[in-house]
Amino acid sequence: MVSAGASRVRSISRVLFVVGLIVGFGHALPSAITVNDTQPDPPAVLFSRQLLAARHLQVGDVVELSGDPSGANPQQFRIAGSYEPMPDPIRVTSERLEARLHLPDLLRLTGDPDNPQDDDSLSAISVKLRRPEDAEAFARDWSARVPAIGVRSSGGGETEHNPFEVLSRFHQAIASLTVITGAVFLLALMVLLADERRETIGTLRLIGLTRARVLAQVLLEGAIIAGAGAIFGVALAALTEGVFNAFFQWRYDTSLIFVRVTPSIAWRSIAVAIPLGMAASVLASWALVRSNTLTLVRR
Amino acid sequence: MRALAFAWRSLLRRGGRSALGIVGIAAAGALMFDMLLLSRGLLVSVRELLDAFGFDVRVLASEGIPQSRLPIEHALETARALSALPEVASAVPFRIGEAEVAADSDRPDEVALFAVGATTRRIWTVVDGRDLSGREDDALDVVVNHRLAERMNAGPGTSLELRGRCSATPSILPPITVRIAGVATFPFDSGAQLTMASRFEVLDRLCERPAGEADLIMVASRPESGPDAAVDAIRKARPDLYTFSNDEVIERFERVGFSYFRQISTALAIVTLSFGIVLITVLLTVSVNQRLGEIAALRAIGFSRHRMAADVLWESALLVGIGGLAAIPLGMALSIWLDAILRSLPGVPATLHFFVFEPRVLWLYAGLLTGVALGAAIYPMWLVTRLPIAGTLRREFVS
Amino acid sequence: MSGSHPPIVEARDIWRIFPMPAGPVAALREVTMEVSEGEYVAIAGPSGCGKSTLLHVLGCVDTATSGELRLEGRDVGALSDAARSRLRLEKIGFVFQRFFLLPMLTALENVELPQAEAGVPPAVRLNRARLLLDYVGLGHRADHRPSQLSGGEMQRVAIARAMANRPRLILADEPTGELDQATGEAIAGLFDLLHKDGTAVVVVTHDPSIAERAQRVLRMRDGRFVDGELA
Repeated sequence: MVSAGASRVRSISRVLFVVGLIVGFGHALPSAITVNDTQPDPPAVLFSRQLLAARHLQVGDVVELSGDPSGANPQQFRIAGSYEPMPDPIRVTSERLEARLHLPDLLRLTGDPDNPQDDDSLSAISVKLRRPEDAEAFARDWSARVPAIGVRSSGGGETEHNPFEVLSRFHQAIASLTVITGAVFLLALMVLLADERRETIGTLRLIGLTRARVLAQVLLEGAIIAGAGAIFGVALAALTEGVFNAFFQWRYDTSLIFVRVTPSIAWRSIAVAIPLGMAASVLASWALVRSNTLTLVRR
Repeated sequence: MRALAFAWRSLLRRGGRSALGIVGIAAAGALMFDMLLLSRGLLVSVRELLDAFGFDVRVLASEGIPQSRLPIEHALETARALSALPEVASAVPFRIGEAEVAADSDRPDEVALFAVGATTRRIWTVVDGRDLSGREDDALDVVVNHRLAERMNAGPGTSLELRGRCSATPSILPPITVRIAGVATFPFDSGAQLTMASRFEVLDRLCERPAGEADLIMVASRPESGPDAAVDAIRKARPDLYTFSNDEVIERFERVGFSYFRQISTALAIVTLSFGIVLITVLLTVSVNQRLGEIAALRAIGFSRHRMAADVLWESALLVGIGGLAAIPLGMALSIWLDAILRSLPGVPATLHFFVFEPRVLWLYAGLLTGVALGAAIYPMWLVTRLPIAGTLRREFVS
Repeated sequence: MSGSHPPIVEARDIWRIFPMPAGPVAALREVTMEVSEGEYVAIAGPSGCGKSTLLHVLGCVDTATSGELRLEGRDVGALSDAARSRLRLEKIGFVFQRFFLLPMLTALENVELPQAEAGVPPAVRLNRARLLLDYVGLGHRADHRPSQLSGGEMQRVAIARAMANRPRLILADEPTGELDQATGEAIAGLFDLLHKDGTAVVVVTHDPSIAERAQRVLRMRDGRFVDGELA
C-alpha cells in the first residue's frame, strides 16, 4: 500500500473519514441521513448492509451525506446497492456503518472548495503487483524516488507488537496451560489404570515376561489411549468449530472466521498428545513394574 | 469418626492418587482463577485509569470518533460556567494534539501533546522539577514523560524545539521553543509513547487553532453530589453538549470493545470447570469401585446411606478445596505472565492491566469450586447410596 | 427349638427370590426360625444352599421377598432404610469372612467406628474400645493398622468391632473361612466367650469345630432347613 504523508492518527484515509462522518451521524444526528427525493438523478452510493439495517434504508432511497461533522453542505446520493464489508479483525467489535462512493464524488463531498488542490489529493493508493514477492523492494524503490510520500508493503510491519501476533501469543500461552492441565489429568487416569491392572502385571511377570516387555506393553497402551483421545478431541473440535463460528459471527455481525481447525493444528495436537500419553503411562506404571512380583499378585 | 476425618483418612490412604487429583485441580483452578481475573479485569483497570485523577465526567461537543468530533467553542468560559454548578468541583478544558521534536537522528519523533486550559487538577503526576503554572512567563513551559526526557537527554530547565502536526500535510508554521518545567508520569502512556503536557498557548502557537477551543472538558463532581448528579446538572445547563460519566463510558466499552475478553474468559472457565468435575468424578468413582466391599461392610454394620454419601462428598470437598487453595498463588503468578503478553498490544497504556484482582473474584471462585466439588461427587455418591449390601458382600466372598 | 427366653429374632415363612437371566432363583424357601436371647446357633450346609442369604435377611442387610421378620418383637419389613441401618448399628453385630477392617484406621479406631456413628462420646467410646480389644486379647495391638496384623488378629478386631455398641445379636458369616485351623479354633473360642457372656450368636459355617460348639445346629439345603429343625 502506498500511503501519503504522516502515518499517525490524524492522517487517516478519506474513506475512513467518511466512515467516521457516518458513525458520527449515526450516533449524534439521527435525522442527518434523510430520504429526500428532490434532486434529479443523484450520484450513486453503496451502503454497507449494516448501515442499511441501522438506518432502516433500502436500495433506491435517496440520502444526504455531508463531509462536515456539523452536517453543513449536504449532497444527495441514491443508494444503488448494498455490500458486505470486508471482514476486518481489528474492527470486529465496531459497527460497520460504511459507504462507498465514486472517487470524484468523494473528493467533491469532502474537499475544501477554496483549495483547488483538494480535488486532486488522496491519502492512499493501493497497488497490486504482478509479483507480490517484490513488495518490499518496490516499496524501497518508490520511497527513494518520491521522498514526499511513504511507501510500504501491506504484508510487513512490526510483528512483535502486531495485535494479532500478541493475541496469538496469548492464545498459545493459554493452550500450553491447558495442555499441562490435560497432562495431569492423563497421568491421574494412567495411575488409576495401572492400579487396576496390578494383578495383571504381576501375573504377566509370573509367567515370564520381562520388565522391558511389560513396559513396552504399557507404552503401547498409553500411545493408543492418548492417540485415540487426541483424534476424538480433534474430531470434536472440528464439529464444534461451526458452532463457535456461527455464534461469534452472529454476535459481531461479521463473516470473519474465528475458529479454524487446520490439518496442521490437528497433527500438532496428536503429536503432543501421544508422547504425553506414553510418558504418563510409563510414569504411572514404573513403580508397579519394578515391584516384587509376588506383592503384585497377593491380595 | 466424623465424615470429614473419615474422608481425610481415605484420601491419605491413596496418597499418590489424591495428590494427582489435587495437582489437577490446582492446574485447572489456576486457569479458572485467571479467567475470572480477566473477565472484568480490563474494565476495572480502565475504570481505575479514568478515575485516577478525580475526573468522573467528560464533556464533548459531539459524539463520534475523535477525528470527526466538533471542538468545544469558548471552552474556557464553558469550563468556568460548569465549575460554578453546585454539583461540580472543577472543570478543566483539554486539547489533544501532536507535535514533532527533533532528536539526533534524521527523523523527528512524534509527541502526543495534551494542552490544559486550567492550572488546577491534572492528569499527570510530576516526579521531577515542577508542574505547569499559571504565570504569564511560564506560558511556554511543558511537562514531559520519562521516555521523552531520556530520548532528548533533557530534564527540567532544558529547552526543546517543537513543530506542530496539525493536519495531514506538513505544517508550514515555524517551530517554537518550549521549556521543560518538569518530568511526570502520565497514566495513559503506552510503553513507547512520547508525551508532553502544556498550556493552551503552546498548542495555539503550534497549530493556529481558534482561541478558546478545546477537544473536551474533564469534570470532577463534588463528592456529596456524585457523577450522576453532575451529569444531570450539566445536561440541563448545556443540552447542546455531550456529557457522560465514567460509568457510561465503561458501559459502552463493555458493550462494544471488551466483550472479546469476557467471552474468552467465559469459554475457558467453562472448560476448566468441566475438566475439574470430570477429573474428580473419575478419581472418586474409581476409589469407590475399589472399596465396594468395605462400603458394603460399613453399611452392614449400621452406617446409613447418608453417612456414606457424606463421606464421598467430603472427599470431593477436600480434593477440590486443597487443590483450589493451591491454585490461587499459582493463578496469580500465571496472571502476571499472561498480563505481560496482553499488555504488549500496541497503544495499551503502561498502567493498564488485563488481569485485575477484585474481592468478588474470590467469592466467585469459591462458588465455582463448590460447584465442582458437588458436581464431581454426584455420581460416586449415587453409587454408594445405591449399593446393594448383600449382593456386594456376596460378590466379595466369591471373588 | 426355641430357648426359654423371648426370641430376639423371629423369621416366619421367609422366601428370598433373586431374578436371574435364566429365571428366578429361590435362595430361601419357607424358612422359619427363631433365635432366643443368649442362644448360640450354627447354620451349616453345602455352598450355595442359602446360608449367607439367610444371615443377610436376619441381619436386615437384605430384604425378604416374602415372609415376616421380627427383631425384638418389631416387624422390620416395613422399616425404612435409615431405620434398618440404625437397627444394625445398635442391635446387631456383624462379623465377615474377610474381616472388612478399614485399612487406614488403627485397630482401636476400627472398634471405635460404630460407636462414633451411634453418637457415643469420645471418652466413653475410647474406653470401651480398649476394653473390647483387651477382651479379644489384642489390647497390646490397639495402635496397629490391619496391614500389621495377622488374619486371626484382624478377625479378633472385627469381633471387637461387632461388639462395640453392645448388640444383642452377633451374626458371623464364615468367620474362620480365611484362617488356619489353629487360629480358627481361637476365634471359635471367642464366640464361646460371647455366648457365655449372654450375647446371642448365629454363625454360618462350614467348619465342624464351630458348628459343634453351638447349642443348636440348623442344616440347610437348597434354601430350606433339613433334618426337621424348624421353629
